Amino acid sequence: MRDNEPDAHSWRKAYGLALSLFAAEVVLLYIFTLRFS
Amino acid sequence: MNRLDYVVLIATILAIPVYGLWRTRGSASLGQYLKGDASIQWATIGLSVLATQAGPITFLSMPGQAYESGIGFIQNYFGQPLALVVVCAVFVPIYQRLKVYTAYQYLGRRFDQKTQLLGAFLFLVQRGLAAGITIYAPAIVLSALLGWRLNLTIWLAGGLVIIYTVAGGTKIVSITQRYQMIVILVGMAIAFVVAVYRLSPDLSFEGALSVAGKMGKLEAVDFSIDPHKRYTFWSGLIGGFFLALSYFGTDQSQVQRYLAGGSLKESRLGLLFNAMVKVPMQFFILLLGAIVFMFYQFEKPPVYFNQPAYERAMENGYAPQLAVLQTQFDDLFTQKRDAIRAVSNASSNSSSNERDVAMTRVRELDVQARDVRNRTKAVLEQAGADPKSKESDYVFITFILQQMPHGLVGLLIAVILCATMSATAAALNALGSTTAIDFYRPLIRTNASDHHYVVAAKALTAAWGLIAIGVASFASLVENLIEAGNILGSIFYGSILGLFLAAFFTRRVTGSAVFFAALFAQALVFVLFATTNIGYLWYNFIGCTAVLILAPVLQQTIFRSTETPAGV
Repeated sequence: MRDNEPDAHSWRKAYGLALSLFAAEVVLLYIFTLRFS
Repeated sequence: MNRLDYVVLIATILAIPVYGLWRTRGSASLGQYLKGDASIQWATIGLSVLATQAGPITFLSMPGQAYESGIGFIQNYFGQPLALVVVCAVFVPIYQRLKVYTAYQYLGRRFDQKTQLLGAFLFLVQRGLAAGITIYAPAIVLSALLGWRLNLTIWLAGGLVIIYTVAGGTKIVSITQRYQMIVILVGMAIAFVVAVYRLSPDLSFEGALSVAGKMGKLEAVDFSIDPHKRYTFWSGLIGGFFLALSYFGTDQSQVQRYLAGGSLKESRLGLLFNAMVKVPMQFFILLLGAIVFMFYQFEKPPVYFNQPAYERAMENGYAPQLAVLQTQFDDLFTQKRDAIRAVSNASSNSSSNERDVAMTRVRELDVQARDVRNRTKAVLEQAGADPKSKESDYVFITFILQQMPHGLVGLLIAVILCATMSATAAALNALGSTTAIDFYRPLIRTNASDHHYVVAAKALTAAWGLIAIGVASFASLVENLIEAGNILGSIFYGSILGLFLAAFFTRRVTGSAVFFAALFAQALVFVLFATTNIGYLWYNFIGCTAVLILAPVLQQTIFRSTETPAGV
C-alpha cells in the first residue's frame, strides 16, 4: 500500500495544511493571551 | 437530579449501545471483530480517536483545572498535531501495509517474538491499570455528589461497557464512540452557552474575560523558557510531542481505532481531523472553566467544592473551625464582588488609574480567599475527611448540579458517563485483541479456526473488563488518582516508543539488542521514578532515548555476531 507519486504529493499538502492550521491556532491563542492578560 | 434528568441520562447512555448492538448483529470473522469493516469511514475514525483520548477526566477535570490555574494547560496539547502528522506519514502506512491487528505484531515481524511480547506486555500492564482508573475517577465524584453507591456505579458503567464491547468488537466501539462523542460535543456546547448566559448582568462577556484575564486565568500561551514553569509553549511542544507520538503511534487502544476499516486514506483523514480539532476543543473546555470562575465571582461558591468531604468534617467535630473560615470566606467574597464591579465601572468610564487600583484590590482579595480555602482543606485533612480526588474535580459538576436547568443536568451527567464508556470500551477492545493476537494465538493455540480466535478474543475482552472493574474497586487505595493515570502512562510509553522508533529508523539493530535495551530503559525509568522528582513527562523522553542509544551499542558489542534483519 505504498503511496504513489501524485498521492504522496497530495498527502504532503494535507499535512502542510494541518500544520498551518495548527500554527494559526497558536497565533490566535497568543493574540487572545495578549488581549486579555 | 429529578425524574426528567434520570430519563435523559438513562435514555442517552442506553440508546447508543443498543443502536450499536443492532448495527453489529450477526457473526463476524476475526478480521471484522478486530478491525471492523469498510463501512467505517474517516469521520467515525476521527470521532473515535477523539473519544478514546478524551475520557471522563477531560470533561470532569479540565474546567476545574482552568478554574484553579487558568487555561495554560492547553499548551500540553501543542505537540499533538505534529505527532499526528508523523503517525500519518510513518506509522499508519506500515501498519496498513502489513495488515497487522495489533501494533506489536509489527515488532514481531521486524525483530522477533520476544520483542513483540515485551511491547505487548508493557501495553497490557499500563492500559489494564489505566482502564480501572478511567472507570473509578468519575465514579468517585458522581457517587459522592449524587449519593450513588460507589461500587454500584463502577459495576453499572463497567458492566454495560463489557456487554457491548464483547458482543460487537471494534466495529461497535467505533460506532458507539461516534455517537457518544456527538452527545459529548453537543452537551458541552450547550453547557458553554448556558454558562455564558448565566454570567452576571453587571459584566459584559468581554468584560468578564477581561477581568478573568487580569486575574491570571486566560494566559493561553507562555513562551517562557523557565524550566520551573509547569505549562509553557516549549514544554508542551517538545514533551507533548513525545507523549502524543507514543500514545497515538504505539498504544493499541488508539492504533485499533485508526486501523478500523482497513483503508489508509480513511485512517489518515481521521487522524488529521484530530490534529486540527484537538487544540480548539480543549480551548473551549478550558474557557468554559474560566467562565465558571467568573460566574462564581458574582454567585457565592462553596468554600470547598467537595461538599460531602466538608460535611464529614463538620460531623467529625470540626464545625466551629469551619464556621469561622466560612465567615471569613463570605466576607472576602462580598468585598471581591464589589471590587470587580468597581473594575467594571472604571472600565466603562475609561479611567485607567481607577481601574488599576480596583484590579489590584481584586487580586489581593483573591489571594486571601484562596488562603481561606487552603486552610479549609487543612482542617478537612485534620478531620480525616480528606478526599482521594482533587477539589477542582468537583467544580464543574457542582456548577452543573446547582446552576443548569433540569434535563440538561441529566444530559451532562450522561456526557461524563459517555466519555467513561467510550474510553473504557476502546481500552477493553485493545486489551482483549492484544492478549488474543500477541499471546494466545502464538503461544497457546497456534492453529485453531477463525471462529475459535473470535471466541477467545471475546472471552479475553470480558476478562479484562472484570480486571478493570477490580482495579476500580481497589483504586481508593491510591492517592490522587487522576495524576496516577498520567504518571502510569509516562512510565511505560518511553520504552515502548523506543522499540518502535528503533524498528522504523535503525536498520542494523536486531531483536535481542533492542529487547535488552528496552528492558534496561524500563528499569532506568522505574529507578528514576522511585528515587528522583523529575517531572513525569520527561520519562517519555528518557525511556525512548535510552532505547535508541543503547540498542545500537548492544548491537555493536554483545550482539555483534547476530544476523542483520532484512527489515520490514
